[in-house]
Amino acid sequence: MAKIEAPELTGKIITPKVKTGASKDLKVFLAKPELMTKVSFPSEKPADWKEKFIENFGVILNKYKSVRVFLDICVRCGACTDKCHFYLGTGDPRNMPVYRQELMRTVYRKYFTTGGKLFGSLGAAQEITDELLDEWMTYFYQCSECRRCSVFCPYGIDTAEITMAARELLDSIGMGSKYNLEIVNKAETLGNNLGMPGPAIRNTLDFVEEDIKEKSNVDVKLPMDVEGADILFVTPSADFFASPHIESLAGYAKVFHQAGASWTMSSYASEGGNFGMFIGNYNHMKAINARIWKAARELKVKRVIVGECGHAWRVLYAFSNSLNGPFDFLDSRYRVPQHICEYTLDLIKRGALKFDKTANDQFSVTYHDSCNVARATRMGETPGDQFTIPREIIRTVCNKFVDMDADTIGDRTFCCGGGGGTLTDELIDIRVKGAMPRMQALKRVKDSHNVNFFALICAICKAQFTKVFPYYGIDMEEVGGVHQLVSNAIILGAKEGI
Amino acid sequence: MPNLEVEGKSYEVDEEGYLMDWQNWNEAIAAAMAKQDGLELSQSHWEVIKFLREYFEKYQIAPMIKILTKEIGKVLGPEKGNTKYLYELYPAGPAKQACRYAGLPKPTGCV
Amino acid sequence: MNGLSSVINLLAYVAATIFVLGFLNKVVLYFKTPSPLKIATTPAPTNSVGVVLRLVPEVLFFRSLLRGGTAEKILWVGGWFFHVSFLLIILRHLRMFVYPVPGWIMSFQQIGIWAGLIFPIALLILIVRRFTNDRLAVISLFQDYFVLLLIIAIGLTGLLLKYFVRTNLVDVKSFILGLFSVSPAQVPASPLFLIHFSLVLILLVYFPFSKLMHAWGVLISPARAQADNPREVRNVAPWAQ
Repeated sequence: MAKIEAPELTGKIITPKVKTGASKDLKVFLAKPELMTKVSFPSEKPADWKEKFIENFGVILNKYKSVRVFLDICVRCGACTDKCHFYLGTGDPRNMPVYRQELMRTVYRKYFTTGGKLFGSLGAAQEITDELLDEWMTYFYQCSECRRCSVFCPYGIDTAEITMAARELLDSIGMGSKYNLEIVNKAETLGNNLGMPGPAIRNTLDFVEEDIKEKSNVDVKLPMDVEGADILFVTPSADFFASPHIESLAGYAKVFHQAGASWTMSSYASEGGNFGMFIGNYNHMKAINARIWKAARELKVKRVIVGECGHAWRVLYAFSNSLNGPFDFLDSRYRVPQHICEYTLDLIKRGALKFDKTANDQFSVTYHDSCNVARATRMGETPGDQFTIPREIIRTVCNKFVDMDADTIGDRTFCCGGGGGTLTDELIDIRVKGAMPRMQALKRVKDSHNVNFFALICAICKAQFTKVFPYYGIDMEEVGGVHQLVSNAIILGAKEGI
Repeated sequence: MPNLEVEGKSYEVDEEGYLMDWQNWNEAIAAAMAKQDGLELSQSHWEVIKFLREYFEKYQIAPMIKILTKEIGKVLGPEKGNTKYLYELYPAGPAKQACRYAGLPKPTGCV
Repeated sequence: MNGLSSVINLLAYVAATIFVLGFLNKVVLYFKTPSPLKIATTPAPTNSVGVVLRLVPEVLFFRSLLRGGTAEKILWVGGWFFHVSFLLIILRHLRMFVYPVPGWIMSFQQIGIWAGLIFPIALLILIVRRFTNDRLAVISLFQDYFVLLLIIAIGLTGLLLKYFVRTNLVDVKSFILGLFSVSPAQVPASPLFLIHFSLVLILLVYFPFSKLMHAWGVLISPARAQADNPREVRNVAPWAQ
């Protein structure tokens, strides 16, 4: 593998000149026929793939208003061109959202528009070819579905919708991403993205229990498969496996412990994440999501709470009611589902949690808004609470907090560079480059406020930054979860009424 | 599918060099993989590999990194029971590089 | 009525029909295509009143463009002045469409002239940016230049008619009123007017088959026109049931 050069940290985000083909060689591994079959896609490109492709394209146009309208109404004004972190990091014009979409739009014109049928290439309409498919496979897997382009588009055109449709189309003719489909398959068969069997999860939970006990001498439990618990807690499986994810797991457990809550996790629904969304496949997304509601029914819980994971929150908050609702078997006094940050802040406001803020005094903290939370969901009652709630928690448990520049947070936040099914080793080059805008913003607060803790509520962001920080000369241990900070500062045993 | 040649035998590996079948593993494979990376496997490296395989056999997945560090601390001494030491042993990351040498599939997910 | 008049009258009806049916066809098609999932770009309003309040500044002031950088500010100036002056010009033209002319239309006559002068300047900004900015040069297609040039041509022929090659407005008006009352009249004996008029017909025909449908799309784009209430309101597409 060629050495990967991280962009220089200057604190400035500079729009690069167009460098055609700069990232054309960064491709995902193709899924093998056996894997394609396992997830009910054609094992390989059929002989009549063109007809299938056009037919499936038509089906998608009839199913999704977003795709149909977005393909028609873009005026190519260019407002999105410098908003994508992958363009800013690579300069490859295909990473300009409008030009990424053009890969699909050109085919759309050819087969589905009057102009394209009449005028062909003069109207920028192209037949689908093997070469074009190859470009699709490359550049629709260089989109992290982060929706930043949509924020600046005068019509809100969301490239994520186009990317999802493109991946669905590719899958439908036997061209899939190994990374994404392996995960879909594991989530559907084993219950989580990592493929952790129940006993392995239990072993990890035992470890965390022991760890807490050793450090604080308090018996904090991490229950699994407890029928009749009030709360089903669903979190990304990375929280059972990776660092720093595991630190937040301890944090959630301590919060539930202090609240005196009756809660459980599920070995059957041991995954919050849902890669069905990343590949734009409604049925897979629905099947993966269904496990959670099945577990909620079987465990007879009253409410469902979701851990720190960006796209899990999107699917659960925005989609699950459509996919597998209604949830009238749950207690209607609680929002379905709830985010752990909503839950924790609510407890804080009711005075149910006590903190020793000095426990986090070695940290100067900043907070990264994860794209799916920021631009595709809400927390709390008021639009924008998805920004204030995590920050309020951090301010409650830390003395030193500073935000990055306003145009890099909130709904203008930059993707970590590894979202949307791009968090795979073969894409590390573009992941490093795609992180550039965020790293520059971080550099500024590092310089001005000595920031040394980068707080997150997304498993993908955590994994991505842990991997990418060292390329920029930053210690990977500076990455951590919001509930990791909560875990550090929470005073166990000091229960004073709820 | 690419193959890895070790001591005259051929083993199936995936695009990134992970053994396709973890049960085909032997120590010579680990040593050969390390050699390709320009690494000489020390006793400490072997301890990691040994634990990874034992854990995998029991749980069908590699251990969480903190479980690994704790175990290494037990075996090699508490000063070595930390992530930094593991990264010294396996610069490309204990979860990925060490798993590969141990013949285990790469843990994939949001990790 | 001479042959030319018959042809132009007929073409006007054909163009208007294509425009109306084409536009309605798209509107119906968009309406019928379901949104299986809630995809509002957040933060988004939680109810439909809020959605209207979100869309108004988008439509009137291109709010999202204003959130961008320098390139979008330039685009905003070109785009906003182009759209507003186009609207004022159309309002000014209404006096040709009705008889007698109501007072409110008369009140747009002066400002309509100013708009007519701003119009080509705004369009010039829109076209020049397409080849001077390296990113825009890459993404711009033939049809992007085509539609800008078409509208510029409409504007310039209009200005020529106003200032340099005056045509007999009584003839124009009788022709237009004839069209609207379906009693076709003689076209004015002005080649320049006929060019101006034909270009407008081309624009009408082109409209429903082109990116100009953003005029409707801006109102219904799912990322903007949905309320952010998925936890409260269950949304299911018929195909997903």
